[in-house]
Amino acid sequence: MTLTASRPVSPPADDAHSSGGREFGPIRWLPRVLVIALLAFWVLVVIPRSETYAPFAADAVIFAIVGLSLNIIVGYTGQLSLGHQGFFGAGAFAAAYAITVQSLPFWSTFVVAAGVGALFAALLGVAALRITGLYLALITLVFGVTLQRSLFEVPEFTNGGAGQPAERPEWLFADGRFYLFCLAFLIGVVYIDYRLTQTKSGRALLALKENERVAEAFGVNVTSFKLLAFVLSGAIAGIAGALYAYRIGNVTGDDFNFTLALTFVLMVVVGGLGNRLGVILGATLFAVLDGYLLEEVGFLHSFTEQIFRTPNLAQYDAQFLGALGLLLTIVLNPGGIAQQIQPFTRWLSGKPFSLHGDSESGPAAVEGSHVRA
Amino acid sequence: MSAPDTQPVGGAVLEVRDLSIRFGGLQALQHVNLEVNEFEIVGLIGPNGAGKTTAFNCITGFYTPNTGSVSYRGRDVTKAPPHVKAAMGFGRTFQNVGMVKSATALENLKTAQHAKAGYDVMSGLLGLPRSWRAERALTAKAEAILDLLGLASIRDKRVGGQSYGTLKLLELGCALATDPDILLLDEPTSGMGPDESDELGERLLVLRKEFGLTMLVIEHHVPLVLRVCDHVYVLNFGRLLAEGKPSVIQTHPEVVAAYLGGEAPDALEATQETEEDAALDAQLEAQVHAAGAPEPDALAAQPEREPVAGAPRTRRKPTAAAGESATRTRRTMRKDTP
Repeated sequence: MTLTASRPVSPPADDAHSSGGREFGPIRWLPRVLVIALLAFWVLVVIPRSETYAPFAADAVIFAIVGLSLNIIVGYTGQLSLGHQGFFGAGAFAAAYAITVQSLPFWSTFVVAAGVGALFAALLGVAALRITGLYLALITLVFGVTLQRSLFEVPEFTNGGAGQPAERPEWLFADGRFYLFCLAFLIGVVYIDYRLTQTKSGRALLALKENERVAEAFGVNVTSFKLLAFVLSGAIAGIAGALYAYRIGNVTGDDFNFTLALTFVLMVVVGGLGNRLGVILGATLFAVLDGYLLEEVGFLHSFTEQIFRTPNLAQYDAQFLGALGLLLTIVLNPGGIAQQIQPFTRWLSGKPFSLHGDSESGPAAVEGSHVRA
Repeated sequence: MSAPDTQPVGGAVLEVRDLSIRFGGLQALQHVNLEVNEFEIVGLIGPNGAGKTTAFNCITGFYTPNTGSVSYRGRDVTKAPPHVKAAMGFGRTFQNVGMVKSATALENLKTAQHAKAGYDVMSGLLGLPRSWRAERALTAKAEAILDLLGLASIRDKRVGGQSYGTLKLLELGCALATDPDILLLDEPTSGMGPDESDELGERLLVLRKEFGLTMLVIEHHVPLVLRVCDHVYVLNFGRLLAEGKPSVIQTHPEVVAAYLGGEAPDALEATQETEEDAALDAQLEAQVHAAGAPEPDALAAQPEREPVAGAPRTRRKPTAAAGESATRTRRTMRKDTP
């Protein structure tokens, strides 16, 4: 009660309105443009030149693509996929097989990977048409694990178990270059994702996520749009898989275990379901957490050592942190990272800085982000 | 459109023949026949649980009837799924507001135009110029509908937070946005006051004139039915009880019995009587006593409460005023389940 009384008289929403009518002067846009320019400089120039950052950054970008792909199913359609590493792995193996065994041209391997990812997603999608909630989660889980244990172990694909090599063309050998190459794909996927949300397909998905009968009354073919979401998601995950194959250079079945599928779901939820930027940031966090971040902050290793008295637990730090992140997100912060950075993104988009989001745009992402149970 | 207000023209837009549907042990609809002609506004009335919404769901393809057929402009569409029917020209609203709650009013109106969006999924995803142009057209149409319904102020507000009356109106807008040929409205006035309901009645007449619409309306608000409907069908326990001009239906003895006698006991028991109800009852009683004596068997079917007040209602020949007050009583009795 005292809190509300001590708040300033003019609510932040009013400020937003009054400044909305103000002239679009340099004082308003200059700091924002500077911040964006600085970020772009860092992402496009500093990182590619760094020997240490670039490989992790490539991982982060690939994870971000997977995150956006998974977000189409979980965030937009309200279904759950615990088998996304299946599409991802299928894309990776398809690309590696196509370039090494079939000797197809480099670019066409991405088409193959997307096609294979889409095909598997369509198969799973057909099952998903009638099933929702827990059983769908179970089916996708089984799908992913089965794929890893069967198809990803076939000697023809895995080079007799040693792993299928996937060599980059010469002009992509440098890690910095490869990172930028992946970034170009991410930008393409972001564009497709943006168009998805801006056009009738995205509206149809939102409608069928909330209420299938209303969607049908509006003329939405619920079956085909659910399938579309799966196929699109699978194709994008397949492309990400191809990039991943070229990133690690040698694809083995063990790379696509269930932990990876969990990481994918975690990063999307912690990033912020249904929010593009949130998902990208969440994916980046989880991609660099394991390999880079924990190397840098060594105290975490000693931290778990102190608690559990066994030094070899250090390799699980990332999973501990992931679980902690999930817990915090679900309990305190359902909008994920996207919700946390909202004051900043709002400021970047030209509105005055305020820690309270305006009621209209604020909790929308949160409210729309439930997974259908 | 040749003066649709005065004379219904053309053949049947919607023809329902011998429609039956059963859910487990419940025969929800039994041999129902309906016909809606071009530019007609047809009312579908009946007590709660009579099967009105079930009939809607069969007509719009949400349920597949066990027997019978639904034809639209001479074509058999019994088995067509809802989205196909929506594209064909069936616009419908739902009893408890069917909209995308987390989206804004504008987005809802654009979603409703899905079937006639004018571009395919692929060109939308790739952002071809065609899709941009089509999107602008969708926005323009959505804004026109908002203006038409006087809802321009909630254009960018999320639908979830709006009042029930506003939602019902916006839902009507969404049904219009699907570019319907025949509009099926499920209780368009629920959650509205009497004034708003009358306003909506006028609006329906205007819409029919402007868009050349044909309508099938489930409605409880009797003055509205009398005002706008050209023809009324009455359902009771899944059967067609009566049909005809609203003025005929109003005085049809079986209809009056179904509305006030047959179904009343539960509703009456479940409702606490207010002072206003008591006053209305007294008024009714006075009118009924003037009309004639009660029938004994109808008396037996009535609840324990005041047999004298309940029984006569079943056979009274109501005047306009009595009809009004009876409706008001009914409205207080109805359990609204949004």
